Order: sequence, then C-alpha cells, then structure tokens
Amino acid sequence: MTTTSAAISQPLDTQAGVELMIRLEEVEKVYRTDRIETVALTNVNLAVRTGEFISIMGPSGSGKSTLLNIIGLLDVPSSGKVVINGRTINSYSDRNLSRVRNEEIGFIFQTFHLINDLSVQDNVEIPLLYRRSMTGGERRRLAQEALDRVGLSSRVHHFPSQLSGGQQQRVAIARAIVGKPRVLLADEPTGNLDSQMGDEIMDLLEGLNEQAGTTIIMVTHDPRQAEKTERIHRLFDGRQVN
Amino acid sequence: MIRHLLKLVWNRKRVNFLIMVEIFFSFIVVFAVIFMAVYSFDNYRKPLGFRYDDVWAIRVQNSQGMPEEDKVNQLATFRALLAATKEFPEVETAALTWLAPYGRGDWNSGRKSKDGSNFDIGQNLASDDLKEVLGLKVIRGRWFSREDDGVKNYKPVVINQKMADMMFGDEDPIGKNVAEPSRDNKPVEELRVVGVIEDYRNRGEFAEHRGFMFFRHDLQNSTEIHPQTIIIRVRPGTTAAFEEKLLKRLQAEASEWSIEIRPLTELRDRMLQQYLVPIAAFGLIAAFLLVMVGLGLTGVLWLNVTQRTKEIGLRRAKGATRHRIYRQILGEVLLIASFGVLIGVIVVVQFPLLDFFAFADPQIFAWAVGISLVMIYGLAILAGIYPSMLATRVVPAEALHYE
Repeated sequence: MTTTSAAISQPLDTQAGVELMIRLEEVEKVYRTDRIETVALTNVNLAVRTGEFISIMGPSGSGKSTLLNIIGLLDVPSSGKVVINGRTINSYSDRNLSRVRNEEIGFIFQTFHLINDLSVQDNVEIPLLYRRSMTGGERRRLAQEALDRVGLSSRVHHFPSQLSGGQQQRVAIARAIVGKPRVLLADEPTGNLDSQMGDEIMDLLEGLNEQAGTTIIMVTHDPRQAEKTERIHRLFDGRQVN
Repeated sequence: MIRHLLKLVWNRKRVNFLIMVEIFFSFIVVFAVIFMAVYSFDNYRKPLGFRYDDVWAIRVQNSQGMPEEDKVNQLATFRALLAATKEFPEVETAALTWLAPYGRGDWNSGRKSKDGSNFDIGQNLASDDLKEVLGLKVIRGRWFSREDDGVKNYKPVVINQKMADMMFGDEDPIGKNVAEPSRDNKPVEELRVVGVIEDYRNRGEFAEHRGFMFFRHDLQNSTEIHPQTIIIRVRPGTTAAFEEKLLKRLQAEASEWSIEIRPLTELRDRMLQQYLVPIAAFGLIAAFLLVMVGLGLTGVLWLNVTQRTKEIGLRRAKGATRHRIYRQILGEVLLIASFGVLIGVIVVVQFPLLDFFAFADPQIFAWAVGISLVMIYGLAILAGIYPSMLATRVVPAEALHYE
C-alpha cells in the first residue's frame, strides 16, 4: 500500500490537550525464522510529548534498541500502531518513510557511524543531501551552524580519524541536528565515551532539548545519565515495567 | 549529490585505483578493436568501383622463366591466350591486366598531394576491354581506346577520383601529368590523365580507400611490364564445368605455362577473410576481456557494498530512499569508470595528434572513441546493477548493528 502526500499531513496528535510527538499503541515485534520465533517487544504503549526528554533503560536484549528502531522508522512493528507527529506511519511507502526520517528524526549512535572518507563538514551534510531543492551553499551554511552548536566549527576540514571519540560524537550530533529534526533518537550516545566526555554530550543533548525544544528519546545503560531526563521507561524481556 | 560522490570517489582513490586501471586498459583494448571495425565498416560503405559477379580471373605464368629476348614471344602468347578465351560463347568479353581484383600482391607508388603531403597509390595495367569486363565507371574524360595507339610523348593513364582529389583538388585532372618527378632531376616520361573512374579498390571492400592509376597496355609493346592475368566476364549462369573446358583450351595454347582460373567471388571471399579474421579474433579477445573485467568489476563492487553496509544503513537512516542508494552506488561506479576512461581518452587522442591515424578520417576516430565510451559505460552499468540492487536491500536497523 502506498501513501500519498495528503496522508502525511494528518492533524497533530493530542492527549488531554497536550501535543504528542510520538505515540505507540500495543506495539509488538516478533522476529521469525524457519525454526525460531523471538518476541522482541510485547504490548508496548508509549506517548512522548513534544519537547520531552525521556530515557529508555533495560538490560541487554530487553528490546530497547528494537523499540528505538521502530520509533525511528528503521523497523516496522509486527502489530500495533506507530504515530509520529500526528501521522500513523504503519503503511507508509519507503519514499514517505525516508522523508519522515530525513525531515523529522535525527539519529545518534553509540558508535557514531561517521564515514571515514568524508570530512567533518561532508559527514554533517549527509542528511541534507536527501532534501530536494537544497543548494550546496545552503547545505554548507546549515552544516556550519550545526558544527557551531556542538563547538566544532574549527574542525570542518578534519577527517573522523583525526578526532577524539568525544569530538566524533559531537560531529554525529551535528549531523543529527543539521536538518532541524523535531525528534532526536540517541542509542547509548555516551556508551563509548569516558564519563567526562559523556557528561559533555549529555549537556549538549540537554541544551538541544531546552533551547530548541527538540524531543529526545535516549536509550542508555547509565542510570546517572538517565536521571537527567524527564522520564525513564524501563523494558524487561520486551515488556514495559514500572 | 554529484559533488558529494566526486569527493567520496576521490577520497577513496587508493581503493578505487585498481578499478580505474582496469577500466583504462579495457578502454584502450576496446578502442583498438572498435577503431578497426569502424574503419573497415567505413571502407565497406564506399563504392568498390568494379563488378565481381560473373567475372573470372585467369592467372597465366611461364613456368620455365622468361629470358629477356623471349618477351616478344611471351606477349604473342598472351595475345593468343586472350583470343582463345574469346572463342567461347560463354565468354562475353575478356581483357588483360597485371593483377586481378582481390589478387594477392600489390603494385604501388608514392605521389605528392596538392597540399604537399605524401600518399600511396595503387597501380595496374589495363587493356582496352578491362572497363567492360569489370564495369568500371568513367566519370570524367574517357577510358583507354585505339585513340591512344601510337602516342609517343606520353603514356595515357586513367586515375580514380580519390587520386584526382588528392593531387588536383577541384581542378580538372584531364590532360594533367601525374608522373612522379625524378629525384635526380632526370627527365621522366609524362603520365597524362585521359580519364577518371569513380573508383577501383582492388584489395576489396574493407581495404583502405586510396588513389589508383591504370596504365594502358596495348599488347604490342614488349618493353612494358607484361600483364599476368586475363579477366573474363562470363555469361550469367555459366557453371564451373566451363572452367575445365577453358583450362584445356588455354593449356593447349601454352602447354608450358601455369594457368589458374578462379572466379572473383572466390578471390573476394578469401580477401574478405583476410580482413575479417583479425577483426573477429581481436573482437573475441576483447569480448572475453570485457566479460572478465565485467565480472571482476561486479565482484569488487559487490565486496565494496558489503564492506559499506554500515554506511548504507546510515544513509538510509538519514533519509535516503532505496532508489537514492541505488543511484548513488551506480553513480559511484560511473564516476570511477569516468576517471579510467578520461585517462584512456587522453592517451588515444594523442594518436591522431601524432599522426598515427593519418590514413583514417578524423570522423572515424571520433566514432571509435564514442562507441568505446558507450561500451565501457555500458559495461560499468551492467557490472554496477547487481551490487547497487544489493545495496538497496540493506536493512538499516541490521546494518547499524543496534542489537
């Protein structure tokens, strides 16, 4: 089933008069192979308000990253409903999913996922390459702005291998925010960093949340970092626990 | 996006270097074969200048050798043989020449063109009937005739249009002298153009289109180069059985002479093979090379895509559609190919600049470059399709190793 652009412009989701950025209803994810059926998520319900900063915690294999993938439209639920910014995206085509990912969602990964053969500037520009009718000049300007925000404007011509881990994660954050997304999904963003650098990255994320009103969902193992967020959702064996 | 791909390909130049080298050599080989093929095809399209159907060549040679003093007798034997062929009702007309069309061997000399450059021309002897036998088309002046009997101050010659163009441009060549001046300033006998024929390409359809000149042989002058071949036009439908009958009759006339009768169609087949076999052989080698390069390229690109799974997953996460990923991988392949091809074009452009291809029109060179480019880019696209498709199947969640 394909989705038209009309379907993308559904009205915003609300709950008790509060604008919801993300809503998951009875989401299940089951991985099936010929022999095994693995239940990754069971009956997950989640509502994230616009501008909220929440964290998801749980032991390894509890389904945190699967949940983040589904919210980030990188994976589809086996059943249940996913509503992003008022739009039910379950039946979106690849093209529309890509557009929503590009315009509304920014990803930050534990291992940064920078392209080593591209300079810092070029890495940050990547999401903008997939925007229609954006000129090279505009891309460069926005990338510079994003790098300014993460304090790396002096490293634009460096390559990732010339940067420290913390700097690389800053570049990844600049890449995530360059397209001015409304949602940031961070998968253990401090997991590969020492505590000092981890704190710096957390400060950066908090700043983005407070100053730009960006909705942030962060998966973390670190209770210290999770404590800094507004809410903590816990998963265990694919189920939400209190 | 092109700028982005250029940066990506350039920054990975060490990884892509071998592919570029492979593309470069492929381009050179493909260009060589295509150039040969285009050059031959271009020659094939040009008028041959004579008819070969129902024409037989009878090669006659004195097997005992010919002392100088016997040349008069030899010429008499030629005349007798020519007369003998005309006895048969199957023979419409017959003439003498030195070398038959499609025959092995060549007789050539050099001339200076109007612009001062040197060029080669082919030469042959012709008796007055050769025009009728081969259906030569006179476009200016006249063919040899009894009118030329007894001329003493010059030799009448008939040239083809190509030679006329090379030596005289737009001027009328009739009456002009086409003798090559002697290097030691000794007087040279005038070769006066009495006629221009459309063409005469004795080495066949695929051979170089060159200037040509016929000398008249009146079958009387024993000091001239002697003819060696009788060319006959037989009536349509004449079978090979006549060949035996004719051979017997000629052998009776000159029992010690070696006589060989061959239809021009047979000589033509042999000659065309001489041109086509090398092209086919090189073409086959080039085709194998291209297949190997194509498979190698596919393998390298496949590996490349596999190694870049994370990057592709990242791009998908950042908003690239499957189609964009497909275009990106294919675009990178074309860019890498372009680097190899660019160096290849720079190399082959040197050939005409250094006058290596002076015998061919610049258009042929341009066509060969164009077709080679199409083939190499076609190969690159074919090799890139499957890896590009594989790239679109990357599932971002898996590629990014979330779990």
